[in-house]
Amino acid sequence: MRTKLFLFLVLVLTAVFSASRGSVTTASPHFYRDDPLAREPESQDASRAATSEIGDLYEMVHNLFVQPGYKPSGVRAENLNTIDDVPDSGWFTNRIGTRALTTEELVRGPIAGAPPDPSRWVIIREKISGAHPGMTARDATGQTWFLEFDPPYYPEAATAAVVMATKFFWALGYNQVESFLTTFDPKRMEFDPVATLRRPNGKRTPFTRDDIDSILEHVARRPDGTYRVVAGRLLPGKILGNFRFEGTRPDDPNDLVPHERRRELRALRVFGAWTNLTDLKALNTIDTLVTENGRSIVKHWLQDVGSTFGMCNDRYEWDLSWEHFYQGDTTTKRLLSFGFALSPWQTVKYTEAPSIGKFEGDRFDPRTWRPQTPTTAYMELRDDDAFWAAQRVGAFTDEMIRAIVHTGEFSDPTSERALGDILIKRRNKILATYLPAVNPIVTPRLENNRLTFDNAAVRAGVAKPPAAYRASWFQFDNATGETRLLSTTTSATTTIEAPPGLPTAEVSFIALDISANASDHKTWQRPIRTYFRRGASGWTLVGLERIPQASTNGAATF
Amino acid sequence: MENGAHIRAVGLVGSFASIGLLIGAVTPALAQAPDPDARQEVIEQAQSQKSTSLQPYVSSKGERLMARVEDAFVYPVETWHPFLENAYRGGGFALGAGYMQHVSAFSFVDVRGSYSIRDYKRIEAEFVSPRLFHRRGELSVLGGWRDVTQAAFYGVGLDTSSDDRANYGFERPYASALLTVRPTRRLLMLRGGLELTRWRLKSGAGSDPSVEDVFTPAQLPGVRTTTTYVHSQGTVGFDWRTAPGYARRGGFYGVTVHDYSDRDDTLGFRQVDYELIQHVPILREAWVISLHGLAETTWPKDGQQVPFFMLSSLGGGSNLRGFSSWRFRDRHSLLMQAEWRIMANRFFETTVFYDAGKVAASTSDLDFDGLKSDYGFGARFHTPFSTAFRVDVARSSEGTRLVFATSPVF
Repeated sequence: MRTKLFLFLVLVLTAVFSASRGSVTTASPHFYRDDPLAREPESQDASRAATSEIGDLYEMVHNLFVQPGYKPSGVRAENLNTIDDVPDSGWFTNRIGTRALTTEELVRGPIAGAPPDPSRWVIIREKISGAHPGMTARDATGQTWFLEFDPPYYPEAATAAVVMATKFFWALGYNQVESFLTTFDPKRMEFDPVATLRRPNGKRTPFTRDDIDSILEHVARRPDGTYRVVAGRLLPGKILGNFRFEGTRPDDPNDLVPHERRRELRALRVFGAWTNLTDLKALNTIDTLVTENGRSIVKHWLQDVGSTFGMCNDRYEWDLSWEHFYQGDTTTKRLLSFGFALSPWQTVKYTEAPSIGKFEGDRFDPRTWRPQTPTTAYMELRDDDAFWAAQRVGAFTDEMIRAIVHTGEFSDPTSERALGDILIKRRNKILATYLPAVNPIVTPRLENNRLTFDNAAVRAGVAKPPAAYRASWFQFDNATGETRLLSTTTSATTTIEAPPGLPTAEVSFIALDISANASDHKTWQRPIRTYFRRGASGWTLVGLERIPQASTNGAATF
Repeated sequence: MENGAHIRAVGLVGSFASIGLLIGAVTPALAQAPDPDARQEVIEQAQSQKSTSLQPYVSSKGERLMARVEDAFVYPVETWHPFLENAYRGGGFALGAGYMQHVSAFSFVDVRGSYSIRDYKRIEAEFVSPRLFHRRGELSVLGGWRDVTQAAFYGVGLDTSSDDRANYGFERPYASALLTVRPTRRLLMLRGGLELTRWRLKSGAGSDPSVEDVFTPAQLPGVRTTTTYVHSQGTVGFDWRTAPGYARRGGFYGVTVHDYSDRDDTLGFRQVDYELIQHVPILREAWVISLHGLAETTWPKDGQQVPFFMLSSLGGGSNLRGFSSWRFRDRHSLLMQAEWRIMANRFFETTVFYDAGKVAASTSDLDFDGLKSDYGFGARFHTPFSTAFRVDVARSSEGTRLVFATSPVF
């Protein structure tokens, strides 16, 4: 009887304890057998996803006047695998920084098909995105393209920006539109009989020669009467409208992580700063419904990355990339000082070349760079997100950068060189800013009873080696999450001998806290937590946490 | 967009601490499923769970509101709109509305009306065809009626007293056509117009005496008159501002010739206006020095006179801002304005300004002697191409005045 009573009490207490924790305690392991994931599953059919557009005015007003009151959560990105990386998905594909990319791959970028045949263009409708004038047309082979011209004050620059940016962002991992530099000859242009244009009265009427002239009057024309254009291929699949930088799609079963907690969307703050992607907003993104492996899934694209390298809507938009369209602090400063408190954009020097926009590297500061309006994902960037992004930026060598810039087909070699120089300067500033900002230990390996790792900041030449590294070794229970300190070891190098007594059984785990003692970098003293699993062939890294889940200083300091 | 279970579920992908949350977050049915032994299964279970509750995206109230605003103001097809323009300078705060409807792909009709606190009334309809001659021309055809109850008249010349105010009223029906042509689509601007209008003057309302109680028709041409004008005009100008409604660079230099033919051949005259606007950006447009010069000259036709209500005038919210509307009148006028405009942000700027001007009976007196002047500061909300709201505080020898307007000062 007493035994039954005891068992009953145990059951009650267990239930109460479980309920008090707010979640059912289960035997869920800390690490699963397939950790770390290389690809985010997209297991469900998303064919019910419907078109949903975001209003331009709404997004601008919300981002400018509501977003400033947004308090970053400081929450760690949630689409990471257990080793702090972003798995492949419909949003992102690991490329540079993960695997070796050849120069050929880089300059090809997202291009998978043949370029347009410009011997004949058939106009079918207006252009639906992008800051610069353009139109939608079919080439001589019947394929549909979005054509965009250069403004007269930036000949070659706007078209080159699109081509270069699509390659940079493709290499960085984003889905990109195939874009080609080509030619538009008005003499070889005709209208599709059903081509129409939306008029101010809201109705669509036939496209006319005058409509084309109204575009061509405001774009850069070559001496032979033709026009240089960038042609973007029509995306495959059903267009679903824009994705948003917060929340999830309620009609996509595979979209589980709030977009502001997707690291690759947060990281656009760093990649945007590097390339000067000032028009970073939902309206320049697009979702498509595509079929993969017999299942409909949603694919997410950065559709328009042309507002890069100093390209903007107007050559007099001096404050772009230095301030949001509206900022309370700078507004107040200028009001109180009658404008005498100068902002950096008022005095910064730009390269004087027609094919280079307002793009410079000398006064560029990644932390103070500003897109036109701040998105929620932009606000949520933490230092570990920025570190992840900076590593990818740092994976671009000088030669890679210049090879991509060369695809802009600038007629002026000096401009091409200058643009490459600016990108290299900005890359270096991003590395110097973000790599030392957190504990920069990367790629830990445990082999032959020896821990080795790299220091990303030291390797990039933006920090001096620390005086010493310190590793705390723990036995780790994968079922309970409990740890037991085994030993602490130190080393002056990036190799640390393992202490005796590490588990030897297969499928056993250890945890390792690795920190560095560098007087210049207090943040390096905060250890990264790594986990290794013992297998038949030795220890495998299965976990890495650079900054804890909810850290008061995880949010990037801007 | 949405939160809740799905957020918690995926937290486990990267967060060790939240592994247990997945199971706690799923429904009882899912909780009873066998514990997954792979991360992939965990996520797939969460996706499967979400697939049972899919719903279309529903716009928030804010999104729907902004969409309506965007439709109404950014891409107007047919819409009601506020109309705050007064029937005449000095009418005080006016409130009104208009309804715009397209009648073809580009052309539209706008019917609007306003009523002011001084009982000024204005109702008119305008047809605008903005895309003529392959985008080189714009035609405006306007018809309407205005009723003004107490327009100010302080006498003729610069040496009048503000205490000598008299009022007059008038009703004025009008019909006009104005054609603007830019032969090269930029810089050169030609404008021609024809207007038929009748001025029927009436006693002024308000506490000040009515004009006809102070002046006789012999003393002041136009008192108690009813005059029908055929007004023709032509302008030649060079305009390289970004937009007349708001600009931070560029300029406008133009000359306009008016001919007012009185059908009774008593109050006919000609008028020539010389206008100069120049915006000088400094420090990349963070500052702008904006300059405005305007000289108006009127010449009576042979044996005729310029009626007092058509004399060139200064005073009011768009010229000598520190003086009351219509404060100075004479045959000729000279106005010079300078503004130091300080950009606060892309939508808002402040300004410090100085206005000076004079009226004179002879063009030889349009010099810099005896100028009436004021100074002040202001603030403007604007778009890249238009001034949405302007408030100026101006100080002159006759006091401080507050100006509210929905148009640029120049």
